[in-house]
Amino acid sequence: MMTRLGRAPWPLLVVALALLVPAVGSRFYTFLANDVLIWALFATSLNLLVGYTGLVSFGHAAYFGIGAYTTGILMKKLAVPFVLAFPAAGIFAGLAALVFGFFCVRLTRIYFAMLTLAFAQIVWAICFKWNEVTGGEQGMPEIPYPALDWMDRLPWVGDLRTSDHFYLLTVLLVALCLWALRRIVGSPFGRILTTIRENPERAEFIGVNVRRYELIAFVVAGAFAGLAGGLFGIFNRGVFPDFAYWTKSSEVLIMTLLGGMGTFYGPPLGALALILLNQQIVSYTEYWPFVLGTILVVLLFVFPGGLAGAAGIVSRRLARALRA
Amino acid sequence: MHRRIVLVALLAAVLLVPLGASAQKPIKVGMPMPLSGPAALFGEPASKGAQMFIDELNARGGVLGRKLELIVRDSKADANEAVRQARELILKDNVDFLVGTLTSAEGPAVSVVAKENKIVFIAPIPKTDQLTAPDKLHPYVFRVASTTTIEGRSAAEIVAKWPVTKVATISFDYAYGQDVTKAFVDHLKKIKPSVEIVDQQWPKLGEQDYNPFINAQMAKKPEAVMSSIWGGFFVTFSKQARALGYFDAIKYNFIGLGEAGSPETTKSMRDDYPVGIWGNSYDAFYWGESAAHRDYTTRLSKYLRDEYPSSWAVQGYIGMQVLTEAIKKANSTDSDKVAKALLGLTVETPVGPLTIREKDHQANRGQLYGKTVMDPKYPFAIMKPVTYVDPTKFMD
Repeated sequence: MMTRLGRAPWPLLVVALALLVPAVGSRFYTFLANDVLIWALFATSLNLLVGYTGLVSFGHAAYFGIGAYTTGILMKKLAVPFVLAFPAAGIFAGLAALVFGFFCVRLTRIYFAMLTLAFAQIVWAICFKWNEVTGGEQGMPEIPYPALDWMDRLPWVGDLRTSDHFYLLTVLLVALCLWALRRIVGSPFGRILTTIRENPERAEFIGVNVRRYELIAFVVAGAFAGLAGGLFGIFNRGVFPDFAYWTKSSEVLIMTLLGGMGTFYGPPLGALALILLNQQIVSYTEYWPFVLGTILVVLLFVFPGGLAGAAGIVSRRLARALRA
Repeated sequence: MHRRIVLVALLAAVLLVPLGASAQKPIKVGMPMPLSGPAALFGEPASKGAQMFIDELNARGGVLGRKLELIVRDSKADANEAVRQARELILKDNVDFLVGTLTSAEGPAVSVVAKENKIVFIAPIPKTDQLTAPDKLHPYVFRVASTTTIEGRSAAEIVAKWPVTKVATISFDYAYGQDVTKAFVDHLKKIKPSVEIVDQQWPKLGEQDYNPFINAQMAKKPEAVMSSIWGGFFVTFSKQARALGYFDAIKYNFIGLGEAGSPETTKSMRDDYPVGIWGNSYDAFYWGESAAHRDYTTRLSKYLRDEYPSSWAVQGYIGMQVLTEAIKKANSTDSDKVAKALLGLTVETPVGPLTIREKDHQANRGQLYGKTVMDPKYPFAIMKPVTYVDPTKFMD
């Protein structure tokens, strides 16, 4: 029973379900689903560092912000098409991660975390101050939607709104990125990252260049965060300096922890949970930070492995019950 | 099995309840407004003013036989947050109109959301010229606030009469600060060419430590200063400036734009207020210009249970009043029709008649100006004499 369930093509089913949201849900559900998807990619990119390599970054929003500004500036000010502006977000964020990472991986633990935070604050300050390019405090509103005219000619999809078209594009792009990330963590390279997480000294001892692997992981994580940022700027209908602010970094870190770091589908689950919780609580009470904080504390205490860990326990119990 | 059904039902209820529509449908107005942080000093009373108008209107039976409902959301004085709240108000709460935003970063950002969703948006407070500039203007954005051009030029007319030539400025480094300072400097140089701008300071919006800026400015020895540090920020700024002898050094030749002369600012500072400077305000309970204004002030005082009611409530009030008149004129809540009705609409507000220009969707909203003095009648400074500067001649 369980094995058959386990072998079902879950990722494909989830993608198919996600594609159906605009058809069955309201505009608001599509909006929420779009938000969740982009944050899921952002959180998964952070998980490559936190969960798989054991590097806790407090400044991951920097690359998200850089990606958002790259796509935003290219599409709005230079009228570059999305097919180029989107990968550019990953490339620029990856380059920034290469430069910052070069310094960060030389430090360990809390010092590493503090340095990532420092670099992120520098990125934020540049976005905030450089009025001519980034729009400063006012941000950069009205990022155009990608040209998706070809979707108009498709059956079923043609009648939907532009924002729904963009959502469908997001589903495909995020699925593609998650698939790539999945391949990366499953590869020999990914196994070495896990080795480094478990015991960096021993990894060094068996001939792994720990710093270089950490740097590569940092760059890959930064690049995927940049891609998430590129999508988010368009989704959000504007890019603002607080995309790179430390609160965004902590938000994505909470999603990763809540979902369960070290499990691949934990962070997307965390993104889903945090955004839905946030949504529901905000509409009931103005003291939402208090309620949300309490829920998070309880969840983290009861399920130390995050939601993904809890799901694992439940499914194992179920399997045992079914067998009995 | 039963438990699972109950669980699913519960989950569905939780997800669907906020989306459920009520039977008797009021006209919903969404208001993204700062309700926390230093901007709340102005944002909170503005939302109260809007609520008072709605309560009074609903007591009279509403408009087109329907009641108005105001949904206020905290925009945290942050453009990104304001956009998010505005989109949620439209998508989730299905509001018919947007009235709100406070800072000049929030206003233009929310305007874009209004344009995309084809929903009328009335900005009651943001002043940046960029909001209704030709390249940003669209059929759904309207403003009942003043503008940076009006405010900067009004201030320049006042400063031009002072016996000073060396003038300095201090403003926040974002849309409002930049635009109002430019309007002030350009107009001042035009009407008084002998003026020399000796220094310009640009702290970031939300700055907490003004000492470096104040010291740098004093070193340039200006004879007069124009500031546009607004809201709770002016409180912080002027306390630090006073401690450094800044106001004495410029002999109180200081004009505080951004409503530094508003009663809530002088009231919150009491004896710490640099009495003798010039300030401006959207309204003042002690103005007493017309019977309509006195009546409004009495009602507001009762509504807020405050002897000296806020000057900011009037902007929320006027925003709702203009919207309501437009709905009446259009005889519809369709945004396209209401937007058309707003063009050229004249409304009798507590501060006098305001007309929305067809050209740029801008109301002829001026402000009160005056030199602050201590009045034995009140435990805080007031502007005296207080004058309403008519903006018509300053509008291009």
